Amino acid sequence: MKSSNPFALWRWEKLFGEWQMFGEGFLRTIEIAALALILALVLGIIFGVFSTSNNKIMRGISRIYVEFFQNTPLVIQIFFMYNGLAIAGLRLSVFVIGVLGVGIYHGAYVSEVVKTGITSIPVGQVEAAKSQGFTYLQYMRYIILPQTIKIILPPLTNQSVNLIKNTSVLAMISGFDLMYVADSWASSSLDYGPSYVLAGLLYFMLCFPLATWARKYEERLKLNDIARIPFDKREVAVP
Amino acid sequence: MKKMLSVLLVLCLAFTLAACSSSTDSSDTATTDGGLDAVVKAGVLRVGVKEDVPNFGLRNTQTGEIEGFEIDIVKLLAGKILGDENAYELTPVTAKTRGPLLDNGEVDLVVATFTITDERRLTYNFSTAYYEDAVGLLVKKDAGYKGLADMNGKVIGVAQSATSKEAVQKVADGLGIKVSFSEYATYPEIKAALDSGRVDAFCVDGSILGGYLDDTTVILPDRYAPQQYGVASKLNNIALSKAVDGYISGGIADGTIEGLINKWGLKY
Repeated sequence: MKSSNPFALWRWEKLFGEWQMFGEGFLRTIEIAALALILALVLGIIFGVFSTSNNKIMRGISRIYVEFFQNTPLVIQIFFMYNGLAIAGLRLSVFVIGVLGVGIYHGAYVSEVVKTGITSIPVGQVEAAKSQGFTYLQYMRYIILPQTIKIILPPLTNQSVNLIKNTSVLAMISGFDLMYVADSWASSSLDYGPSYVLAGLLYFMLCFPLATWARKYEERLKLNDIARIPFDKREVAVP
Repeated sequence: MKKMLSVLLVLCLAFTLAACSSSTDSSDTATTDGGLDAVVKAGVLRVGVKEDVPNFGLRNTQTGEIEGFEIDIVKLLAGKILGDENAYELTPVTAKTRGPLLDNGEVDLVVATFTITDERRLTYNFSTAYYEDAVGLLVKKDAGYKGLADMNGKVIGVAQSATSKEAVQKVADGLGIKVSFSEYATYPEIKAALDSGRVDAFCVDGSILGGYLDDTTVILPDRYAPQQYGVASKLNNIALSKAVDGYISGGIADGTIEGLINKWGLKY
């Protein structure tokens, strides 16, 4: 009799016989995550800049977008796009829902990150740019945003990691992503142990390098920010 | 970085090995004292049942109790094993949780529309089938489908862990048509997908379909691949599964189970 343990070796063998299924799911998760990330960045920059503008309407639009998507669960947004919009006559493919749903949701978070980045640049710089005749778009493009990027990169990578993990909600709407494949295999073969461990490892493989890179980058930035003043012995003597 | 990865790999291996070795230990001890004694000692039979399948196991929103054909099976078993019909404790399960709950010992038995297959027999003990049902298709009335033959290129919604996918695939291959499948975790989700037009048919066991029939939908007359439901128990609880099997066979022989099937009006 084979071992009945959920993690028994024969279950792993059976699982790796089906590696193609997991490979396809993994690939689809990567595709959706990559496209959703691009969308989230574009939306985040647009609405982030909006929320720091002097125009009340633009600030209002950005506020509504951020508050709506940050304060409703992603699961409900996805479920609505899948069933609600289909009833209304708009039938988006699951892939498109994945990219749009996850992209728009994280766009709201990225927008907040971008906003914080912009407001962390001292106002004096804007005033200086204005006094030199820079227009709004010009000083954003040449002065503010380049400095912002350095500040917001670490929190942005955290958002990317979350985005990758959040694509797993697509399993709920039969999205054929990694989580869906894991669920499907776990429940049809009853080999839930290996199935979920493998899916977890694959997600880890995607997220861990990103998170590590972000941590390293942040450390390097901190080192760069320490001012290195040439040491002058005579100055020490000054009382 | 490299060091961390290798540590991780070693941990994974250790975890797997530990799991394997512990399995041999526990199966050795379990076969000697058996899960049956433990149940008798505890004086209560802990069973996993469905709570979202009309007529089989459905939570009554007024009383808060789970009711249905499978709960009556549980009562029958509790009465035989412990001498008290009400010495049971129900745990609601889904297709995803019933396996793990059995494995970790949270429940002694699972009576939750669990279809018996040869592959599953490698993982759990199944009793003699207490109910046999065939897979059916629920479709929208206005779609005008007469049977699976009309559904070339359509999408069929099935439940995760259900055997209906393979059953329908086989019939479709026989008819020479192509169908694709979308899997969902729960039945209400499949019904929502059918309502919104995401899937063209809702395919599960016929008796379960009955609970989701409404004014806009119709159950097609076709039936495929009879599914047998059995009471599942842990593979190494041999004494318990033998006892359960005996009582189920007895219930079939003396017509008790037939009576319960009629009581819940399960024949569609």
